[in-house]
Amino acid sequence: MNISKFLTLAAAGLIAGAAASDALAQTPKKGGTLTYTYQPEPTAISTLATTAVPVALISTKIYDGLLEYAGAAMEPKPGLAESWTVSPDNLSYTFKLRQGVKWHDGKSFTSADVKFSIEVLALNYHSRGKTYFGNVTAIETPDANTVIIKLKEAVPYFLKAFQPSETPMMPKHGFSEQEIAEKKVRQAKIMLEPIGTGPFKLKEWKKGSHIILERNADYWKPGQPYLDQLVLRILPDGAARAIAVEKGEVDLAPMTALPPAEIQRLGKLPNLVSSQAGSEGLGPIMWLEVNLRDKPLSDLAVRQAISMAIDRDKLVNVIWYGMGKSARGPIVSGNPNHFNKALPKYEYSPVKANKLLDDAGYKRGADGVRFKLTQNFLPYGEEWVRQAEYVKQELGKIGIQVEIESLDMGGWLKKVFTDWTYQLTSDFHHNYSDPTIGVQRAFISTNIQKGATFSNSMGYNNPKVDELLKKAATLPDGPDRKKIWDDVQKIMHDELPVIFLIEMGYTHIWNKRVKGLIVNGISMYSNWDSVWIE
Amino acid sequence: MRQASLLFLVRRLLQIVPVVLAIVALNFFLLRMAPGDVADILAGQMGHATAEFTQQLRQEFGLDRPLYQQFFIYMGKLLTFDLGVSHLQQTPVIVLILDRLPATLILMLTSVVLAVALGVVLGVAAARREGTIADSLISVLALVVYATPAFWLGLMLIVLFSIKLDILPSGGMIQIGAGLKGAAYALDVAWHLILPAATLALFYVAIYTRLMRASMLEVYGLDFIVTARAKGLSETAIAWTHALRNALLPVVTLAGVQFGHLLGGSILVETVFGWPGLGRLVFDALLQRDLNLLLGILFVSSAVVVSANLVVDLIYGLLDPRIVHK
Repeated sequence: MNISKFLTLAAAGLIAGAAASDALAQTPKKGGTLTYTYQPEPTAISTLATTAVPVALISTKIYDGLLEYAGAAMEPKPGLAESWTVSPDNLSYTFKLRQGVKWHDGKSFTSADVKFSIEVLALNYHSRGKTYFGNVTAIETPDANTVIIKLKEAVPYFLKAFQPSETPMMPKHGFSEQEIAEKKVRQAKIMLEPIGTGPFKLKEWKKGSHIILERNADYWKPGQPYLDQLVLRILPDGAARAIAVEKGEVDLAPMTALPPAEIQRLGKLPNLVSSQAGSEGLGPIMWLEVNLRDKPLSDLAVRQAISMAIDRDKLVNVIWYGMGKSARGPIVSGNPNHFNKALPKYEYSPVKANKLLDDAGYKRGADGVRFKLTQNFLPYGEEWVRQAEYVKQELGKIGIQVEIESLDMGGWLKKVFTDWTYQLTSDFHHNYSDPTIGVQRAFISTNIQKGATFSNSMGYNNPKVDELLKKAATLPDGPDRKKIWDDVQKIMHDELPVIFLIEMGYTHIWNKRVKGLIVNGISMYSNWDSVWIE
Repeated sequence: MRQASLLFLVRRLLQIVPVVLAIVALNFFLLRMAPGDVADILAGQMGHATAEFTQQLRQEFGLDRPLYQQFFIYMGKLLTFDLGVSHLQQTPVIVLILDRLPATLILMLTSVVLAVALGVVLGVAAARREGTIADSLISVLALVVYATPAFWLGLMLIVLFSIKLDILPSGGMIQIGAGLKGAAYALDVAWHLILPAATLALFYVAIYTRLMRASMLEVYGLDFIVTARAKGLSETAIAWTHALRNALLPVVTLAGVQFGHLLGGSILVETVFGWPGLGRLVFDALLQRDLNLLLGILFVSSAVVVSANLVVDLIYGLLDPRIVHK
């Protein structure tokens, strides 16, 4: 055998060996504890109490949704409901429930629980309950394993409603009649001592320190979950969280749980994985909200000038350490079904911005200032402050003098959504799995409502957009609906009801030994029943 | 004399009640002045929420009533020692406070006791060697430590002892999920306590050292020390039996004030080390406008501050017989 043949054979052997060990490595292993960290600590364990991120992260491991979802496009697949049929007019959905599913307290899961979870709980207590189920006319339960939901009007995103964070299946027997009658659902004991059907059960909650979930041995998927325990460690300081991840004391920091600078640093370490995949179903997007009631912000030329004065790429790369990309409209480009690919990138050109303002008649004063604006920012951390400072600096270059005002969350919410006394502010929304849920709320004129959070605070009122949004809300997904959403995006791209800035990237950092985390477009709100540790 | 002291005690105890109630009332209205309430926060956390939804939350929490009604309802409950329920956590406020209290007490007591003991010894040592290199060294070190932000010091200690040397845990109060009991549990807590207690104690040591030194030097200049020296007493005996007792008064005052702050915990140190104490609870409650929880913590801590002041007054009498309570 000559040397080159030997080398070839040896290389082939090595490759085959590596492939075999790779395949071996991909066989899920049972056992082990996954520790994750997120700040702040959850205030309850049910998204009925609040859908805040920390609550959704933990409650989705305990409470199942009726369905499961696959891929970035969130295709529904069987879960607690084994199968379903939809009537040709899309007005009646029949779900067949899996038999033999037990609640954590040993009682059987039945159609009565599904009806209760939708009719009594989601509809009345979940912040998006009315969006999903406002059209429901009746929920029938002909037997313990069948649920028929009837709708007044077709809802294109109806099957997306059954995610564990959106419509958690909760036991009817977990609430007393008095709690229901007196509307004390949020105060019920089950909010702190959950009983679900999910892969994990609550074992211990030491406030301020940690939460331990343990494996549900009676989980309906045989052999799953793979993990024995799931631990949430509460570490309020960002640097301390990063240290815990770096040291391997914590396996996972989901959804940008670490300060961006730390994410950039840790992402380069060989034992850690940094990824923005698995949040497509949330579609986080950030923009500069503008109060259109105020002159000169009501002037399109002014909004165009502001938009042109901001270098979105620089914002992403410098302030946000590369997490995200420049936005082109209200829908994130990662949305495979609804994003309008024809939208161009926004141009960065202070020269053109200056000219726009000159032409529109906003003359500079002796001090070089055309007019003054106040700017608020989301009180989520340092990056938001720096972004506000960057915007101030760039707008200064085109003669707009910006004064930054700092408020905490309570003050910010009141100023922006109740008082409408802001002029410019950063704001952050989720597209969710369907734009009618996540996008419509911020731009439809019926949502110009004082006190409605993350709604149309700008006072944006375009009858054409309203009409399109209403139409899109009833059509099934397909070319017709896509066309409508394309049109809406085009109008908003040009009309700038807000200054669209960045498609934010939720960055998850995990230890390489953790496998199977990214399963769909809401991976961190999935139940982690197939996550395992090497 | 004894009767006079007792009368003083009773009178001071009676004074505590209106003081604490006034503080609660002030807190109640001051906290309401901040814009936004817990319903806003909750609705904000949930992403989009309609105005009706937010209003429904306000009704649930009783925040839709006129302010004066809310105030009287709160005060009425307070008089029966009912601190109410946390709006966000849906747990009785007293349960939340008692839950965090042990962690705070362990951390604060350890560091304050450590700091007072070390501070007194170092302060006396520096004062006795006034003007020497040892004195300068102690004073400069105290100044440096005092000027170092606690959170930075904490992070540096973590980097050194937890990451580089890998001999101490980086945070938390126990090894989570280990299920330790009894002595093993106590040891585990002590193990986790070392870094946060050291961080906090270092800051206080600096204060006590400087205070003790200054106080000792002042006492050294007094006539009775000259008399003691004339009597031929040793410098050690003068320092520890004669001067110290007199010089301790300001230290006791400061320790009393600090004991009052005990309940507040140390937000920074608790944050850096993930220590589940009251400090974080206060901070989160404030940001989330969880007023019942905040008022409850402020009520308990104001009661403790006022009581600590009383205790300090009583200790004064013990240390210095010339102080007579009337």
